[in-house]
Amino acid sequence: PANMKLIFIFSALIGASLCLETFVGHQVLRIKTKNEEEVEQLQLLESLDHLELDFWINPSAPALPVDVRIPAVSVQSVKAFLESQGIEYSILIEDLQDVLDKEKQDMAESAQRQRSSSFDFGAYHTLDEINNELDHLASEYSFVEKIQIGESYEKRPLYVLKFSTGGSNRPAIWLDAGIHSREWVTQASALWIANKIASDYGTDDSVTSLLDKMDLFLLPVANPDGFVYTHTWNRMWRKTRSKIPGSVCVGVDPNRNWDAGFGGPGASANPCSDSYHGPSANSEVEVKSVVDFIKNHGNFKAFLTLHSYSQLLMFPYGYKCTRPDDYAELESLGRAAANSIQSLYGTTFQVGTICKTIYQASGGSIDWSYDNGIKYSFAFELRDTGRYGFLLPASQILPAARETWLGLKKIMEHVRAKSS
Amino acid sequence: RAMELPPSHFPAGRAAAVAVGYLRYLRGGPGRGLELRTLRRARRQDIDDVGHKYCLELELEDVLDKGRTVHCTAEVLYHLGSKSTAPDVQVTVQGELRSTEEADQQFYNRIRSLEKELVAENIPDSHGNVPPELEPIHLLAWAASGYVIWQNSTENTKFHLAQVKHVKQVKRSDEDLQFDYVLLLHEMVSQEVIPWEVTVLWHPRRGARVPRDRRQPGLAPG
Repeated sequence: PANMKLIFIFSALIGASLCLETFVGHQVLRIKTKNEEEVEQLQLLESLDHLELDFWINPSAPALPVDVRIPAVSVQSVKAFLESQGIEYSILIEDLQDVLDKEKQDMAESAQRQRSSSFDFGAYHTLDEINNELDHLASEYSFVEKIQIGESYEKRPLYVLKFSTGGSNRPAIWLDAGIHSREWVTQASALWIANKIASDYGTDDSVTSLLDKMDLFLLPVANPDGFVYTHTWNRMWRKTRSKIPGSVCVGVDPNRNWDAGFGGPGASANPCSDSYHGPSANSEVEVKSVVDFIKNHGNFKAFLTLHSYSQLLMFPYGYKCTRPDDYAELESLGRAAANSIQSLYGTTFQVGTICKTIYQASGGSIDWSYDNGIKYSFAFELRDTGRYGFLLPASQILPAARETWLGLKKIMEHVRAKSS
Repeated sequence: RAMELPPSHFPAGRAAAVAVGYLRYLRGGPGRGLELRTLRRARRQDIDDVGHKYCLELELEDVLDKGRTVHCTAEVLYHLGSKSTAPDVQVTVQGELRSTEEADQQFYNRIRSLEKELVAENIPDSHGNVPPELEPIHLLAWAASGYVIWQNSTENTKFHLAQVKHVKQVKRSDEDLQFDYVLLLHEMVSQEVIPWEVTVLWHPRRGARVPRDRRQPGLAPG
C-alpha cells in the first residue's frame, strides 16, 4: 500500500539531516487534496520528522490547500510521491533563497530611500550616522565614491568622499572638517556641502563646470576619535586621542602637528595643553594619512579646511608673521569669498593671514599645504563669534553651511579658472 | 604716539572683548545680553612705565533686542608687565539701553517663589539648546563671566563663556538672589577650556555682583 511506498522512498533520506544555513533550492508547493484519504497521506508525510518538511498550512480538511516548504534534497522525492498518488500540486516558490535575497535587497533599498529623505542635515549626528550618510551619497551618485585614506589612532577609518566625473588624476581640491573635534558645526556643514555638490552636479552651472574639470576630495570627520569622545565623554575635547609616552595626558592638537614651522611659537610643548604640538611633526596618524594621500596624489591645487568659531577667513602664514608670496591674490580672493558669505544672511567674516587675524600658530595644515606648492590654501572659522561658540544651536547649521558654501564656491571657481 | 590699529587684527579684537566683558558685567543680567556686533575703530597708545592703552569705537547689540544698535566708546589699559592686575576699563554707552525692568522683576519673583532651589547643568547642552526657562540663567552667567573675563585678561588672552557646566541657587535671607556657577571659559589663544567657580549675587535694582570666583585648579589630562 501507499504507506509502505512512502516509507521505502523516504527511508533513504533518514539521517540525511543537513544543517541548513540557506534556503537555496528549497521549494514551496501548494497541494490540493480531493478527499480525506489524500489528507491522511499528507498527515503521514508531516509526521516524518527527518524530512524536515515545513508546513506553512497544515493538512486538515480536503477543501483547504496545504502549503509546504521542502528542503532541496527532498524536492524530487516528494514530488514523485505526490504524482504517484495522483495528488495535485503546484509550485508556489521555485527557489526560496531567490525570494529571500530579493526581499533583503528591497528592504535595503527602501531603507536607503528612507534615509535619503530623512537624513536631517540640520541636526547634529553621531559618527555612525555620518558614515552611513557617506555610504548613501556614494551609492546614490555615480560620480561620488567613498574611499579610506587611513585609520585613526583608535583604528577608526578615515573616510573621504571623492567627487570625480572622469579623467585620470585630474587637478583636485581638498576640503576637510572636524580636525578639532569640538567644532561640531564643521562636520555638520561638510555633510550638507557634500550633498549639495552631489545634487547640484548637472543642474548648477558652476558645480557642473567645476566637476567636469577637477576632482574634489572631502574629509568630513578628520578626527573621528576626538569626535566620538565629544559625544561620549567630553563635549569640549579638541585634540586627537593618542597616548603620549611619559605623560598622563592624552592627545595632540592636530592643527599644530603639521610640518610647517613645527614646534615654533603658538604651540605648546606640554602634553596636557590643548595646543600640544605632539612629539614630532606628523606624529598623529590622522595628520600623516592626509599628508601621504595628498603627496601621493600629486595634483592638488587647493587645500581648504573648516574650523569654528570666530567667523574668519584666513590664509598663510600662521607660523610666521611675514606675508606669503601670493598675498595679494589670496587676500583678494579671500575678500571676494567673504563678500559671498555675507551676501546670504549678512554674516561678516574677517579676512587676513592667520598670524595677523587670530594668533601666531605653528604646525598648521594650510601652512604645510601652501609650502608644499598648493597655492590656494584657506582656513575658515565658521559661526559664531562667541555667544554660543562651540555649542552652536542646531538651528544654525543650515544657515552656516549655506553661507560657507558660497565662500567655498567662490574660491573653487577661481581655482578652476586658474587651473586651465 | 597713538597708532591706528586694523579692527580685523587680533590685538584690537582682544581689547574689545575685555571692554564688552566689562560692560556685560555692569549692564548685563537675566534680561539683557550684550554682544559685540562690530569693532569700528581701534587705536593703541604705549604709555611709558604704565602700559598699553587701547581706545575703541564699538557697535554692540542686545541679543534680546537685535534690531537696535548700541554705540560705545571704550578705553582698555593693560598694565605693564602685570599678570595679577586687571586691566583698567572705561566704557561709555551712547543713548539708552532697552529697559529690562519688567523681565527682571518677573525673573526675580519666579526664582524667589521656587520651593526647591534651582539646579541645572550644561547650558547650552551639546546641541546648543537652552530651554526657554533657563535663558535668564544663561544670560546672568554671561554677565558674571564678563567680570571674570575683565579681571583675568591680558594682551595675550581672549576669553569667551563656553558653557554653564553647573548652576545651583543658594537661598538667602536678604533680598539678593544667589547662584553658584561652574562656568567653562574658553581661552582662544591657548585654546584651553577652563572650569571656573563663580558666585553671583543679583537683584533687579542692584544688578549683578561677583563676590567670589575661583579658577578650578589643574589641567584636565583627558
